Amino acid sequence: MHRRKFLQMTAAASAALAATDRKVPKYRVVSHYQPATQPGMPGPYPGQVASVHAEKCIDEATERPDPACVREMMTRGMRALTGDADVRDAWARFVTPSDVVGIKVNCSGAPGIMSSPVVVAETVRNLVAVGVKPDGIWIYERFQDQVDSVHYDRYLPEGVHVWTAETRRGSTESYDPATYVETAFFDEDDTRSNLIRLVGNRFTKIVNVPNMKDHGAAGVTGCLKNIAYGSFSNVARSHSGSVTNTYSFIGKLASVEPLRSRTVLQVMDGLRGVWHGGPFSPNRKFRFYPKRMLFGTDPVAVDRLLLDIIDDKRKAEHAVSVWDRSAKHLNAAGDHDNNPNVNQFVREPGHIEYAASLGLGTYDLDKIKVKSIEV
Amino acid sequence: MPLAFLAVLLPTLFWDRPVETADLLRNAGIERLFVPTGQEQVWRKQGFAASPFDRARAAQAVAPKVEYHMDVASATRVPWVDANGWRFEREPARSFFYDAPAGSAALAAAEAFAYGVDAAIRAAPEDLAPFARMLKFLSEIDQPRLPVMANIGVIDDGSDTMAEVLNLLTRHNLLFHPTPAADAKYDLNIRLGTTEYPQEEAANPYEFAMKIRHQLTDEKRLVRIFGSNVVLARLTGDASQVRVYLLNYGKATVKGLRVRVLGSFEHGKLWAYEHPHAALEDESMQDDAAEFTIPEMATHAVVDLRR
Repeated sequence: MHRRKFLQMTAAASAALAATDRKVPKYRVVSHYQPATQPGMPGPYPGQVASVHAEKCIDEATERPDPACVREMMTRGMRALTGDADVRDAWARFVTPSDVVGIKVNCSGAPGIMSSPVVVAETVRNLVAVGVKPDGIWIYERFQDQVDSVHYDRYLPEGVHVWTAETRRGSTESYDPATYVETAFFDEDDTRSNLIRLVGNRFTKIVNVPNMKDHGAAGVTGCLKNIAYGSFSNVARSHSGSVTNTYSFIGKLASVEPLRSRTVLQVMDGLRGVWHGGPFSPNRKFRFYPKRMLFGTDPVAVDRLLLDIIDDKRKAEHAVSVWDRSAKHLNAAGDHDNNPNVNQFVREPGHIEYAASLGLGTYDLDKIKVKSIEV
Repeated sequence: MPLAFLAVLLPTLFWDRPVETADLLRNAGIERLFVPTGQEQVWRKQGFAASPFDRARAAQAVAPKVEYHMDVASATRVPWVDANGWRFEREPARSFFYDAPAGSAALAAAEAFAYGVDAAIRAAPEDLAPFARMLKFLSEIDQPRLPVMANIGVIDDGSDTMAEVLNLLTRHNLLFHPTPAADAKYDLNIRLGTTEYPQEEAANPYEFAMKIRHQLTDEKRLVRIFGSNVVLARLTGDASQVRVYLLNYGKATVKGLRVRVLGSFEHGKLWAYEHPHAALEDESMQDDAAEFTIPEMATHAVVDLRR
C-alpha cells in the first residue's frame, strides 16, 4: 500500500455547528494512511437505507432468531440497497475474493444483546459465497470477556477468526502506536486513542454490524458509535461526571483513515433492541423487538433512522427523550440503570449530525431515501 | 572492586526476624542485609554481610502501591498511586525505610533504585524471592548516576502544601527537580507565594499540578506515558545519553506501554524486570521526540537512549 504521512489538526467544528453550545475539543489525528478514492463511508449509496421488517425473525419469548427468516431479510435488504437481482452480485459490490474482511460486531450488551450470531453467520455465508476465504474473515471486538459470552464460533465455518483486542481490559498491544487521535478531555494522563492494528495492517474491508440501542452518553449507539468506539483504545476517557464528549469524538474517530475508507457496509441488526440502559443490557425489561434490519453504506443515514426508532420507543414507554438535556433528569450517581427518566450523562444524540458535518453521511431526513421491505 | 562499590548503592533488605530464619534468606539468594542494631554479629556468623540499621533515624517511605477507589463512579477515574518519588527528590541524601507489606518489596527496591537513594526495605518472607530477583536485575543494570532531567524547577519551601504539589507532579509524570533559585535551564520555575503561584491555589494540589501542566504544555514534556495510568517515569541524562526509569505501581503486567521521550535519539536499549529477552518495539521519531513500545512491563523497566 502506498502510504503518506499526514497530520490533521482540527480546531473547531464546522460553521453549521458553531451555533451549538457544545465545545469541540482540539483533536490531533495522526495516521499514515491515505483515503481511498471513494471512502467506504458514506460509500456508493449516500443517503440511502434499505429497511427490512419481518415479524417472524425472532421469538420474543425465547429471544431466538429464525435463521431462515434472517437470511431472507438480509437477501432482500442487500438486493434493495444495490438494485441487484442476485444477492451475490450485491455482496460482490463490496468485497472481492482477495479481501480480508473484518466484521465489527457489538458485544457490549452481551449476553443480553449483541450482534446476533445468526446475523453474523449469514454475513459470513454471503462473504464466502462471493469467494472470500473463511481464513480471511475476522469477527472483531475490543473486549474478550464480552465476546466469550456469545460463542460466535459455534455458528461459523471453520477458519473464521473470532478476535478481540483486549484479552485483559486496558492492554494496548493490539493497537497501532502510529495511528491515533490525541486530545485531553479532562486532563487525563493518557491522551491518545489508538486504532486496532488489524484495521490497518490486515483488513482490506470492514462490515459494520451494530445493534439498535439506546446509549446513556451518546443518546443512541448504532453504526457510528460501534465502528468508532469499537475500533480505538482508551475511549471511555471521553466521559466524566455527567459530561461526555461523544458529540464530537465519535465522528472524529470514525473519520480516521483507514477506518473510514475500509468500512464499506453497514448491516444494522435490530432483531432486538435496547430502549434504555444501553449500551449494556442487564435488565430485560428495557429490551424490545423492532424486528428490523437496516442496510446501507452511509452510517449517518442509518443512525438517523435509529434515532427515531429509539426515541419513539422511549416516548411509548413514557421515558424522557434521548434529546433531553435538562438538569432535573440528570443524576450521574442515580438509578439510571433502572429508571428510564434518570440520565447518567447529558446525552449527545447530536453526534450523528456532527458526523455528517465531517462528510460521513446524510443527516437530513428529507434527503434520506428509505426502501422499506416487509418479509 | 567497582562492582562491590556499586552494589552498596542498591537497596538493602531490612530483616528483624530471628536468626533461625537464615535459610529463608539463603534460599532466596540474599547475602547482604540490614538488621536492628546489636544483631549484626549473630548474622555475620551465619555468613551474611550484615550491617546495623536504625529505622527510627531514617525517613519513612510509604509502601508503593495503587489504590483503586471503586466507589468513585467515573469512566475516567484515575487510581491513586502511593509513590515516594517526590520524597526522594526532596531529600535525596537521606536514608529511607520501607515497611513493605507482602507484594510490594520488589517495587520498593525498584523505586529506591530509580531515584538513587539509600533505602532499607523490610520485606515479608513471601517477598524474598521477587525481592532478590529485583536486586539481581538492578545489579546488572547499575551504572554511575547521570544528572537528573526535569522540566520544572521547584523552589521548595519545605511545607506540607508544597509536599502535596510535589506528590501530584510526580503522580502525573511532570518531572521536577528542587532548585535553590529560579534556573533558566528549566521550562518553568515554581515558587509558592508568588503572584503566579499563590499559596491559595496550591490548596488544591491537583488543580495546581494541572495548571503547571498547561503552562508547560504536553509537547514540551520530557516524557509521556501512554497505555497505563499507573506507570511513573524518571529521567537522568547528559549530552550523550538519557536513561528512562519506569515504575509500574499496579500489580498487572502492562502490555504495550508506549513511551515518548523528548529529543532525538538512536536505537534504544531495554532492560525489563522478569522479561530478560524483551526488546523495544515500534521505535519512531515524531515531532522531535523518540517513541517506543515496551511489549511487556512488569514492575520495572529501564531504557537507555543514545543521542
